[in-house]
Amino acid sequence: MARKSWLGKLAEQKTLLLMSVPFVLWLLVFRYIPVWGWSIAFQQFRPGTSPFDQEWVGFRNFKFLFQDENFYQVMRNTLAMSLINLVLGFVTAIVLAILLNELRSVVFKRTVQTISYLPHFISWVVASSIIVTALSTESSGIVNLVLMKLGIIQEPILWLAEGKYFWGILGISEVWKNLGWNTIIYLTAITTIDPAQYEAAEIDGANRLQRILYVTLPGLKSVIVILLILNLGNILESGFEPQYLLGNGLTAEYSDNLDLFVLKYGIAMGNFSLATAAGVFKTVISIILLFGANHIAKRLGQPRLF
Amino acid sequence: MKALARRRSASDRIFDFCNIVFMLFLAAVTLYPFLNMLAVSLNDAMDASKGGIFLMPRIFTWYNYEYTLREAAIFHSMLISFLRTTIGTVVAVFCSAMVAYTVSRQEYVLRKWVALAFILTMYFNGGLIPTYLLYKELHLLNNFWVYIIPGIISAFNVIIIRSFIEGIPEGIIESAKIDGAGDFTTFMRIVLPLCTPVLATVSLFVAVWQWNSWFDVFLYNSSNINLSTLQYELMKILQSSGGSMTQKTVGDVFSNTGGQAMNQVTPASIRATMTIIASLPIIMVYPFLQKYFVKGMTLGGVKE
Amino acid sequence: MKISQLSYVLLSVSLVLLLAGCSGANSGGKSSAPSASADPAAGEKKTPVTFTYFNAAVAGKDANTNETVLGKLLEDQTGVNFKMEYLVGDLNTKLGVMIAGGDLPDVVVPDSGIDKMLDAKAFIPLNDLLDQYAPNLKKLYGPYWDQMASEDGNIYVIPFAASNGFVPDMYQPGAFYIQQGVLKEFGYPKIQTLDEYFDLIKKYKEKYPQIDGGDTIGFETLTDDWRFFTLTNPAPNLNGLPNEGEVFVDMETKKAAVTGDKDFMKRWLQKLNEANSEGLLDKESLVAKYDQYIAKLSSGRVLGFFDYGWQIVPAVQNLVQAGNDDRNFIGFPLVFEKGTKDQYLDPPTFVTNRGIGITTRAKDPARIIQYFDNMVKEENQKLLFWGEQGKTYEVDDKGRFYRTEEQIAQIQNPEFQQSYGFSYFSYYWPMGAGLFEDGNAYFPDRQPEVVEKSYTEGDKRILEAYGLKVFTDVYSPPDERKWYPVWSANKQQGSKEQLFEQKKMDLQRKWFPKLILAAPDKFDAMWGDYVADFNKLDVKAYEDWANSVVQDRLAGKKR
Repeated sequence: MARKSWLGKLAEQKTLLLMSVPFVLWLLVFRYIPVWGWSIAFQQFRPGTSPFDQEWVGFRNFKFLFQDENFYQVMRNTLAMSLINLVLGFVTAIVLAILLNELRSVVFKRTVQTISYLPHFISWVVASSIIVTALSTESSGIVNLVLMKLGIIQEPILWLAEGKYFWGILGISEVWKNLGWNTIIYLTAITTIDPAQYEAAEIDGANRLQRILYVTLPGLKSVIVILLILNLGNILESGFEPQYLLGNGLTAEYSDNLDLFVLKYGIAMGNFSLATAAGVFKTVISIILLFGANHIAKRLGQPRLF
Repeated sequence: MKALARRRSASDRIFDFCNIVFMLFLAAVTLYPFLNMLAVSLNDAMDASKGGIFLMPRIFTWYNYEYTLREAAIFHSMLISFLRTTIGTVVAVFCSAMVAYTVSRQEYVLRKWVALAFILTMYFNGGLIPTYLLYKELHLLNNFWVYIIPGIISAFNVIIIRSFIEGIPEGIIESAKIDGAGDFTTFMRIVLPLCTPVLATVSLFVAVWQWNSWFDVFLYNSSNINLSTLQYELMKILQSSGGSMTQKTVGDVFSNTGGQAMNQVTPASIRATMTIIASLPIIMVYPFLQKYFVKGMTLGGVKE
Repeated sequence: MKISQLSYVLLSVSLVLLLAGCSGANSGGKSSAPSASADPAAGEKKTPVTFTYFNAAVAGKDANTNETVLGKLLEDQTGVNFKMEYLVGDLNTKLGVMIAGGDLPDVVVPDSGIDKMLDAKAFIPLNDLLDQYAPNLKKLYGPYWDQMASEDGNIYVIPFAASNGFVPDMYQPGAFYIQQGVLKEFGYPKIQTLDEYFDLIKKYKEKYPQIDGGDTIGFETLTDDWRFFTLTNPAPNLNGLPNEGEVFVDMETKKAAVTGDKDFMKRWLQKLNEANSEGLLDKESLVAKYDQYIAKLSSGRVLGFFDYGWQIVPAVQNLVQAGNDDRNFIGFPLVFEKGTKDQYLDPPTFVTNRGIGITTRAKDPARIIQYFDNMVKEENQKLLFWGEQGKTYEVDDKGRFYRTEEQIAQIQNPEFQQSYGFSYFSYYWPMGAGLFEDGNAYFPDRQPEVVEKSYTEGDKRILEAYGLKVFTDVYSPPDERKWYPVWSANKQQGSKEQLFEQKKMDLQRKWFPKLILAAPDKFDAMWGDYVADFNKLDVKAYEDWANSVVQDRLAGKKR
């Protein structure tokens, strides 16, 4: 009975079906079919050799990854940098979106918005060269100059030589580069907030801060939660470009992450199998986190993904 | 809002002042890299390698631009970049919005499954070689459509649009349905117009991604110059300028220059030039789209 | 590391000294026969055809060879045009999908991807084709023929640069560079040892703590990314050994051993540590990028550094342009102990695991081999390297080639190099190197008549002060090492030796800067910790591999 009614419903919804099923088919072809490639993770893959002649090695590639003596350190760095980026990225973007929303001049607001997203278009190679220059101990090192002028430090610090500063430098660099870009989505969400709510708050005697807390932030809640869930799934993706470009031997204990490891021992060595194995590992973790976060959101009565 | 402006308290003014100061600081910090790139790109390359160029070129020259733009292929590649960006954006935004609409309909029985099928794809990919072989089977190699078809929908955009559609008061959609509109008509006539801000946002995301892509050109279309994009052509120029310093061929510098190397360009100067050339057109998109962010939905009148 | 090795191949090839000068001995009679056999088909052979050529070794502008002056001339001779594509992104990625998809061009220069190509059987064996169509190739590569065959006896790739005769290079290979002003200040002393070198730097820095308003930098290192080898390579050099990568080979026993934990490595790092404690070392250079390094060298504030001529080209150019010769550099092959013979120059070598191959997809391999054979004819080699007489070079009454100032200026223009074809043909094709039979150099920048024109007044002065003709005269001639260099041997993907190199790299990148910056009294203990970590790596597997390379090469086998 239930089944029939389900089918019956489906028949009624043929427009919705027509609007979505072709894309699901597209999805199967372009996203799901290539997943056969995961078999490479269990081979010592040699391109140009037929799938039947490949050497199957079981979990050897995974073992190589997990049994590396630096694996623990690599995972720690990956998680630490991801979390820092996640928290900093979220907080700064939301704060900037709110502050931009509080600007009264539309022209000024748009100008700042546009300028603030410019660094997103600069490659990490260029960005890192600017960062390294700014952190230099030479006369071009503006960070040291300012800190010394302010009397915070006595002599220039070689920022990039100390592992303990690395995560901080990376976090700030990421914010600098992507703040404006990350803000766009919250600015979009703010436009959905009904102006009547602000007026109502005003009438109730709410001050600026209260309006932000009780109108703007709740209006952003669903976007924030959804992005949070999505990004938690990406926690193992801390990127490799900035780490690769800003890191060096002295900071390697803090800068080496999973993606860099894969780059060095997988891609640069032409070892597709190891790169695939790492990808499979990341996917498994991502999907666990995704379902976990979604479940928690559901339990908390928050908007959820699916 | 105007009413608010008149009754500004002292703390409000202090807040505004601090806010403006902060925004100016932010603008300065984020504008700097661009001005710096501009200065480097307009400076003699060898001189720039001495360092110390910040906001103004020291030895002014157009040479970096001449060097980069002298290739006829650049202009054709701009056309391809423009085409893939516009076609790719329109198609992707429309398709993503359509899927988003279906998964936003609470009554749709496949809703959860369709959504999940899309969301999962954010966290895996089959890898380089299987994808390459698939495209080969589908005759997408050396084909313009390899820029468009594999990217028609991104799960992220679907989710974003969906959350926006879910914010539309159900009453609006219900009343359309009562007036006899089917799902497709409702989507086209009611939902799409109401979604303008998020569609503008997603357009920006897709357009930037399309414009900046070069890896698909590298993998799938590299041997057909007619399908090359601006980013890829610039990448070629950059790498061959870098090549002359690092992967030095005996020939390039050593055998035919009579010793004294002749580099009027350096990787750093080309990179700066290329940053300016490649990003200016796409940066222009944002200010243009901004008006859609502000207008937004005027939902004030519609109450559930 | 990969890129550095590539550059090395190129540079060492370019510096090849040739052992046997008799390669042309039996060529006279032979050359007529094959050309006769080719005659009947000559008409048909000229039908225009376009092949595809993929170069994974270097970035460049994609083009058709017949769009260049040189390529057009070759097309007129053979009817063959090549559509050339150059690698833009990652080599392994591109070759991987090309091979997996079977989408191979006709001709590939796979660079370090050679393993992948051979593994996938993507290259055809060339033996029969060479026998049938390639008398000129056989003549040119004659002395090296035995080294070109793979284990199965087939020749799959034709290496570049079959060398004939030695010509010193304009660029110095590895050297400890020092500012000419420092030498002038102290009356152009002869410096042989590292200690003397640092003493001079120290004295000069004490006397002139500032240069042009900035702090004088005693010694600069280069550690950015893959350029890290610039920090580690001097160690064996200082001990009178050439740079073979991770190992050195005993001349008597022919045993290879890793360099990473040896005393000479320690001694070198300890010297840097000492320099640091005396304030002579630029600490920032341990974290700086290459761009900053060049900027510092260009500033004229740096007194000394170890590097290779090709890595400092922009800085030298800047200094030349600034016009103060005292701020420019000259390099010396320093050693630890007086009397040690320096071995900075690469011994004669023929790199067999880089080259050009014809793929299984090639439509007409015979035409391709004929094209290759045609291009290595002596007159065509002169064409490809020197261009056309009267246009890009001149010949004096003694038959010596030279270039006028205008010709040199014209050729320095990258656009001209491209449109003329020099940038496409000067490497990555079958070719010779060294000296032509008439004594002219293959590469114009090895021709004294050309090189001299490019020396500045300052160059001439310093050369005179040290009684040198060219800068490379500072080096001792290299001893013969038939296995040299070990690093150029292929490493199987995923092999222990490949893994060792990456792990070792990670380890040294982590430890060496720390050792250099350590308090001098902590140095020994720290070195002990490093060596302990180093020995956790699979050193034995690596040495075994290196020894097998040495043995195979001594036995004349391709490795």
